[in-house]
Amino acid sequence: MADTAVLPARRVGRETAAPPRRRRRGRLTPLLYVLPALIFYAAFVIVPWVHSLWISLWEWNGIGVATWAGLANYIEVFTDSALRSSLVHAFGFIVFYSVLPIGIGLVLAALVAATPWKAMPLIRTILFLPQILPLVAVGVIWKWIYSADGPLGLDSSWLGDFALAYPAVGLVGTWVSTGLCFLLLLSGIGKIEPSLYEAAKVEGCGPIREFWHVTVPGLRKEIAVAATVTIIAALASFDVVYVMTGGGPGYTTMVPGVQIYQLVFTAGRVGAACALATVLSLLTCAVMYGLNRLTRER
Amino acid sequence: MKIDKMLAIVAVSALAVACAPGSSEAPAAQPTGPVRTGAPAEKVTLSLVSTPESGAAIKAVIAAFQAKHPNITINYTDTNYDDYNKSLNLSLTSDQAPDIALLNSVGTTVKDGLVRSLAAYEKAYGWDKTYPSTQLAQWRVAADGSTLGSGDLYAAPAGFSLVGVYYNKAKAAKLGITAPPATLADFESALAKAKAAGELPLQLGNAQGHAAFTVQLIGQSQDGAENAAKWTFGHKGASFDTAGNRSGAQKLLDWAQKGYLPKDANGVDLQGAVTKFTQGEGVFFIDGNWDAAKIGDGLKAEAGFFAFPGAKATAIGTSVAYAISAKSESPDAAAAFLDFLHSPEASAEEFKAGFMPADPAAAEPETDTVMADIVAAWTKVNTDDGLVGFNNNATATMNDKLTAATQELIGGKSDPAGFITAIQDEWAKTHG
Repeated sequence: MADTAVLPARRVGRETAAPPRRRRRGRLTPLLYVLPALIFYAAFVIVPWVHSLWISLWEWNGIGVATWAGLANYIEVFTDSALRSSLVHAFGFIVFYSVLPIGIGLVLAALVAATPWKAMPLIRTILFLPQILPLVAVGVIWKWIYSADGPLGLDSSWLGDFALAYPAVGLVGTWVSTGLCFLLLLSGIGKIEPSLYEAAKVEGCGPIREFWHVTVPGLRKEIAVAATVTIIAALASFDVVYVMTGGGPGYTTMVPGVQIYQLVFTAGRVGAACALATVLSLLTCAVMYGLNRLTRER
Repeated sequence: MKIDKMLAIVAVSALAVACAPGSSEAPAAQPTGPVRTGAPAEKVTLSLVSTPESGAAIKAVIAAFQAKHPNITINYTDTNYDDYNKSLNLSLTSDQAPDIALLNSVGTTVKDGLVRSLAAYEKAYGWDKTYPSTQLAQWRVAADGSTLGSGDLYAAPAGFSLVGVYYNKAKAAKLGITAPPATLADFESALAKAKAAGELPLQLGNAQGHAAFTVQLIGQSQDGAENAAKWTFGHKGASFDTAGNRSGAQKLLDWAQKGYLPKDANGVDLQGAVTKFTQGEGVFFIDGNWDAAKIGDGLKAEAGFFAFPGAKATAIGTSVAYAISAKSESPDAAAAFLDFLHSPEASAEEFKAGFMPADPAAAEPETDTVMADIVAAWTKVNTDDGLVGFNNNATATMNDKLTAATQELIGGKSDPAGFITAIQDEWAKTHG
């Protein structure tokens, strides 16, 4: 999201009379303004990204001699069932990281906006707290909560159960994201024209119809932002899974982030890791493009 | 213009990377000339890297070594176990490569020419006579750089670990078990007795895949240490599909189904299981001597230990071993330190820190402690030449594979045949 530097609109037509030299300088000046940011962006985002694209075409352990692999690493990403299923798990996390938090956040924000409470700052802080905790700490805390000697008094650890581990890890994502979505949506509600609500009341709308016909459409932009941030978090999830299950039991909670880490640091297969990372980033871009199309104002 | 700019950036960055990643040449040939034994007389500063677990002893060993050779200074640094293993190769290639480095497994250090062959030093110092052959075997690497058990020596052992069976003597006595079981059948009937008495028969934490110990111990106790080691060391043509391993996988599944294992074993890690065992949950517990202090403190005189039952005593074990970096400028001084690792002073320090010394005679535990049991088991295993390296180290990814595969086996998501195939396929990716 750092690449939103926008060139100032050119004043077409006004400078047509100016000598060619001046016009040329005028065209380059805006570039100068974005240059510092562009240099950093190129050095720390674009070049490493292209570099990892390049490495993904090699079989390389990070230290020794690299051998050309062509597209073999990419073929493996799509044919190896373990790698493929980790991609599926990441997309499944969108339900827990985005859909549930936005849904819960919408309802909470609508409720809170309708009935302003005195305890509001406290509620906001508590709901937002998971956002400011390091995800590793979140993982450690929830690992304990889900364990047999945790506060839930569970019979046996959920994280060791093949059926429960995945939703258990996913719900941590919900817990983390809900506060962010709630705050974003709440601030959005404040910007909705009050007259729309009045009009809805005059038309005889109940609170539920008001929610669907005024609040939700009015929050289109905020929902788009919340979805963008949380979907990226879902697809790039690593910390929570790594700390809580390491991808287990079996491979039930394996996600690309953990797989990439293992490929590089355990298996010594930097090329295959870069291929998986590239596929993941392209898929993320595709999802973001689709999301943008969906939420763009008509 | 936007497109032009983007193309230009891509072109520039493509230029910046347009060469094969990593070094383009094969690692330089190892020096082979004559070597000097004994500590050099001039002033030498060496650096040594380790992990806190292994480093506790080595710090004391360094102090003893420096007292003997005041002209040699050894700077010690440590990093926690996981980070250490993941960053070792990078640090060995860097300009600040340490002279002496702890090796937890050979990995690709030999293939990539990161550590120095100790063949000349082994001959000069006579290490092949100092240590029993099985103690050095796991640090011998064949010319291909990945097959272990024969070839040049690349690291010298400092202290040994040993995996066997801990048991709660008080609970066992209540069940009428007065002596450690002598056969697998005895062991199984003891587990059954414990279950019938409402005790948890076998404590286990498998979040990190430690059920692999159970499979390996059952397997090698039937197949024999020598055969089992062939697979662990990656010898061509070896197979995981042996009668012993099939039985090991089947028993693990049976025990899970009969309720001999904790229900949530897959969700508890090793340290969690150790804690539960010291709190009296479980009659038996398969684990290594690295947890002896914690279990001994927790269960006091009730803590016991025995080598896994079988016709011959076998155990899973490895040594913490130190290698000399290929970049070291003072290999002779470093080798003198490695030779010091089997001295009586060093052995005593290793034992104090919980490691088994190369020479069992150097271990003098207090009688009637869990340490005394462990030393007895260690002696027995050495007499029977029954030490086998960890299956988890058979390939770089084997630990991850064993973790997932044992979790699936215990969780009833796969069967013993599927388990054996999955493990053998993973092995064949490296050694096939």
